[in-house]
Order: sequence, then C-alpha cells, then structure tokens
Amino acid sequence: MPTRPNGAQPGKPEKPTRPVTPGSPAAKDPAERPAAAGVRGGAHARTGRAAAAAAAAAAGVRGGDHARTGRAAATPATPAAPNPFGSTPHGHDPEAVRARLAAMPRPSADDPRILLDRTSDADLFEPIPPYPTRTEREAEFYSLGDGEMFLNVGPQHPATHGVLRLVLKLSGEQVMDVDPVIGYLHRGVEKICENSDYYHVIDQVDPLEYVSSLFQEWSAVLTFEKLMDVQVPRRAEYIRVLTAELLRVASHTLYMGFLALDLGGITPILYSFIERDEIVEMLAAITGARMLFNYYRIGGVNGDLNHEFMSRLGDWMSRAAKQTEANAALLNENEIFVRRARGVGIMDRHMALKMGVTGGNLRACGIAFDVRRAHPYSVYPELDFNVPTRQEGDSLARYLIRVDEVRESIRIIDQCLHNMPDGPIIAKLPRLLRPRPGRAWGAVEGPRGLMGVYAISDGSDQPFRFRIHDPSFMNLETVPHLLPGNLLADTMAIVSSLDPIMGGIDK
Amino acid sequence: MDRSLKRHLEARLATHLHGPVRQFTDQTEIRIEAGSVVEVLRALHDDPGLRFEILADLAGVDTGNVMQVVYHLWSETSPDWLRVIVDGLSRDDPRVPSATFLWTGAEWLEREAYDMFGIIFEGNRDLRRILMPADYTSFPLRKDFYLPDDAARSPGAGSRQVERPHAPAVVADDPGAGIRRAPVS
Repeated sequence: MPTRPNGAQPGKPEKPTRPVTPGSPAAKDPAERPAAAGVRGGAHARTGRAAAAAAAAAAGVRGGDHARTGRAAATPATPAAPNPFGSTPHGHDPEAVRARLAAMPRPSADDPRILLDRTSDADLFEPIPPYPTRTEREAEFYSLGDGEMFLNVGPQHPATHGVLRLVLKLSGEQVMDVDPVIGYLHRGVEKICENSDYYHVIDQVDPLEYVSSLFQEWSAVLTFEKLMDVQVPRRAEYIRVLTAELLRVASHTLYMGFLALDLGGITPILYSFIERDEIVEMLAAITGARMLFNYYRIGGVNGDLNHEFMSRLGDWMSRAAKQTEANAALLNENEIFVRRARGVGIMDRHMALKMGVTGGNLRACGIAFDVRRAHPYSVYPELDFNVPTRQEGDSLARYLIRVDEVRESIRIIDQCLHNMPDGPIIAKLPRLLRPRPGRAWGAVEGPRGLMGVYAISDGSDQPFRFRIHDPSFMNLETVPHLLPGNLLADTMAIVSSLDPIMGGIDK
Repeated sequence: MDRSLKRHLEARLATHLHGPVRQFTDQTEIRIEAGSVVEVLRALHDDPGLRFEILADLAGVDTGNVMQVVYHLWSETSPDWLRVIVDGLSRDDPRVPSATFLWTGAEWLEREAYDMFGIIFEGNRDLRRILMPADYTSFPLRKDFYLPDDAARSPGAGSRQVERPHAPAVVADDPGAGIRRAPVS
C-alpha cells in the first residue's frame, strides 16, 4: 500500500513512496527527504515492514517508538495545509477533528438530496411506485389500510433463494398482501433460442433451472424429437431416466436442506450438500460438468456410462436409502421444524388446480398428477414406482412429498441399473437439422413440476418459436394467495417450501 | 392419437372450430377465434366428457402475419395434450379474453404474454409487465424485434437499435420487410 506523504491534498493522486534503502541515491536526494520523514505510525503498520523499516532508517519516522528520536533527528517544517483526517504531523489533533465535523454538511430539510419533508411516520413507510399505478390489482395493493405498512424483502436478501423481491403489506406482524416482483434475472432465453440452431438450444436452456438442468434439456429434446419424429434408442432412454432421477434426488435433497435453513436449522444443509455433491460428481464423470451438464442430445445422450460413474453410483446406491432416511430423520423428528411447517401456507386442491400448480406442491394437496404417469414419456411406463400424495397441502406436506419422491427415485434408479439394455446411445441425425414446418409440445416431470416446451418449426435450422414453461413460475404465483394471514416470520418458510428457482422463473 | 377426443371435440365445439381438429403424435390441436375463447375454454373445462382441468401452458406466438395465443390443456379423460390455438389476432392490436375466470394462475402467464408480445388480455386485473422493467416500451419476442447482432434479418439497415420509442419507428418503406414469417399458418 502506498504511504500518504505528509501534506498531500485529498484530491491529488498519491505518489507511492519508493522503498528507500540507506545509502541509496534516493535517500540522499533532498527532494525525497520530507516525504520519507512524514511517514506516520499508522502507515508504518500498513506498509510492507521492510520498506517502512528502511524508510525509518533513512529519515526519522514519526509514530511508534521512533517518535522521540525522529523529532530530534530530522523534523521538517509543519506544512500549512491540514491533513484531511484531522491529524497533524504532531499526532492526533482534537481541535482539527471538531473543526472538520463542524464543516461537514449536516442533514437538513433544505438539502435537496435528503427527503425529510415528510410530516408523519406513515408517509415514511409508503413506497411510491415510480409510475402511476397501472392496473386494478396494483392500485389495490398500493393503497394502505389502517395500521398497515409496506416491507420490502429482496432482491438482494439471503433468504429469498435468488433475486426474488417481495413487497409485503403488513399489519403488525401479520402479512396482509404480497406483490412478488420478478424479472431481475431475465436473460431472454426464449429469444436467444429462436436465434440459435436446434443443437444450440440445449445449452441455452441449461442454466434456466440450474439446480436440475437435465430436466430442462430433456423437455427441449423431447419436444424436438416429436417435431422431427426421431426414434430414441432404448439405452439412451434408460440413461436419461437414470441420470434425471439421480438429479431429482440431488434437487430434492438440496430442497430439504434449504427449507430447514430458512427455518433456522443449519445442520441438514450440510448433509444435503454431501449427497448432492456426490451425485453431481458422479454425473460429472459422464458429462464433464457439475451443474450445467449439456448432456442430452436430440435423439439420445452425449456419452455412454463409464467406469467411474458406475463405481461411484454403486458406492452411493449402497448407502442411498439409508442416508435418505437419516437425512429425513433430522427434520421429521425435529419438533421445531414440524411445528413451524405444519399448518402454514395451506393450499387446497381447488386452489392448486386453479393456480396451475404442478409437481410436488400439487401432490401435497391430494392430486396425483405426475407427468411421468399422467402423460407418460420415455420408458417410464416400463418402470414401477408410485406417485406419492398427501392431503394436508401445508408446508410440511410439501416437504414430506419430497422425501417420498426421493425414495421412489431411488427405486427407479435401481430398476434402471437392472434393466439397462445394450445398444447405441444416440440416433443418427444430420449435422444441420431442418425439421418440417410444424408444432410440438413436450413436457417432462421435473423436480418442481411440469416442465414444458412448445416449439414451432418454420423449416429453417432455428426454431421459429421456442416457449419454455417453468413450474417454479406457476408455484411462485401462489405466494400472494398463500401468505396473507400468516406471520412475517413464516414468509420465507412458505416461499421456500414451494421450491422456487429464480433462474427458471425469470428465464 | 386419441380419435374419440377428436370426435367429441367436433361434436361439442362444431360451431366454434376453425378448420379441422388436427392430431399429431400425442397432441390434439384445435383452432378458434378470439370471440369464442370464453365458450370454448368453459366447455373444455366443464364438459363431463372432456374435463380439461389442468392448464399446462399459455403462450403467445407471433407468426409474422398474425398473433396467436396457444393454450395447452391436460385432462384425465384423454391421453393427448390438447392444444387450443386462438388464431388471427391483429398484430397492431391483439386482444383476447382472459382465461383467469377459469384458471386464476393464468394471470401471470398472461402477464408474460403481454410483456413479450403486447397481447391484451381483457379481464386480467393485473396486466402489467412481469419480466421486463416497468418502463420498458418494446415487446421483445415479436418478430420485428431484432437482436442487435441479428443483422442478417434486418431490412437493409444492418444492426438496429433494440429498444424502441413508444411508437414503433418505421425504418423501411415497407414496415414488414425482413420479418421472418411462419409458413405454418
């Protein structure tokens, strides 16, 4: 760090003091001496020790135990300009500090930069939209009732799972209304995909659901395969199911950890990351990436299962079921967790259907809608698994559904390993894909619900329209219906129990 | 392909359908006009033989000539996805009745379609931008919105300004020149 020469003006750029060694030409230069002599004790501590010691030896350094000798040896004349920090070469000067504080601009009602021209407390808490309210709903939300106030949460809030902003209308500690504000992560992926060729789309959609990116790839390639009438080899289908179910386990495990974290429990997230890390390392062995796999291809997958993957998978499978139970027991038998999650954020089945909620959140309301069974794709009809449902529809039910789904996913992985056929892993397709003009819709069951893609081909090598349907988007939409009536402290517990991923919501 | 669904739709919605009921691998597609959206969606949702209760998706489409709104529905009565295309909306003033009277959750989907295409959903009580900033003025997924590096498709002008003023500026004499149009009508 450069030392500040005594008397330097704040506006001027500082000149770094060169380390001066005794006997060097620089030390004898009279122009260097006052600067070196002015090095203060504070700077002494912060500068490289060798440089400071050398400078102290060259010319007396003020501060520390050199003060006395330094003054006797070579004290330059005190410069006229005061140091901006209120200190002089003779040490700290309280008078200068007082003078500096007095000269500082004070907050005042006259200062146009400071908004103090409000009369009551109620005004202070009223967020003013930067535009006149545009819709009926917005006008209703931005009108405060008696004793109500607004509280802004996010978008840079550690508990909001990404860049989610919630404007809460509170009455005391009770949430009266919520206006979720999204779009902070909007990257225009649909537009980018409409300007990429069909192979390119796969890695464009990858970062959307960054916790479970294989599902997003799957929905895209499934739709393209319908569009182009491609037959996927059976081995590729089994590999897809195997890898996707592994990732579902990872995603759900992470969900459990983060849900506990939002309710104040630190331990489960540590175990979640152990499991999740093992799974992504396993997938990295065949895909080469830990998060954005770019693994599925139109007509198959990119690489075959290899030895490292199989050995890691075997190792993990030998303890997966037991570990899942152990992780779940951390929360299932935790009284604080259960009492904070039970009975909050209740979604009834009628509302869930109206809101377009899918996935575990819908099954927690008693509706057994799972795309793997409701509209089977890939080799799911050949596999034996249950669709767990619960009736309560609260945060606890949404959590318990995930635990059940992890168990079912482990069963599916086991069946995939036993039934894995031999054969090719990808269909033969031309380098440049130009599907016939047409439309296709494909949907897969992701960890958060129905992940759909609607693609229109105009016969060129780029999709004419590429529409991504994200389940988190629909799940988050229920927040204004779930939160009112709950306490502020439960806000994040409810939002977190819906498992929103902002990357997918904002596209 | 679910032939019985096709027969049922033809019998139930004959007066509203535009063109035949088309079927692809696992999708059944019908086309309607904006005026019959309410009746058709209500019939699909409420008819005991149809019961399309899950709104899987709502998407806007700009074909270059017209705007479309596309609904994807699921029902336990049929193994097919049902695609309802509301066709023939004008690109200058696309208006569709909102589906929020059946699916409250369509509110955000319609906000997104409005945000990206400028389609007005009449009856949606919160139709404002959702992904783009509130003061944004363009509709990015329209086909006359070019990416800045997409010079090949712009009408002779090379790269163009992406964000437009309130009234879309007419760059060439023919405002639709260079727009990529879908041959699928």
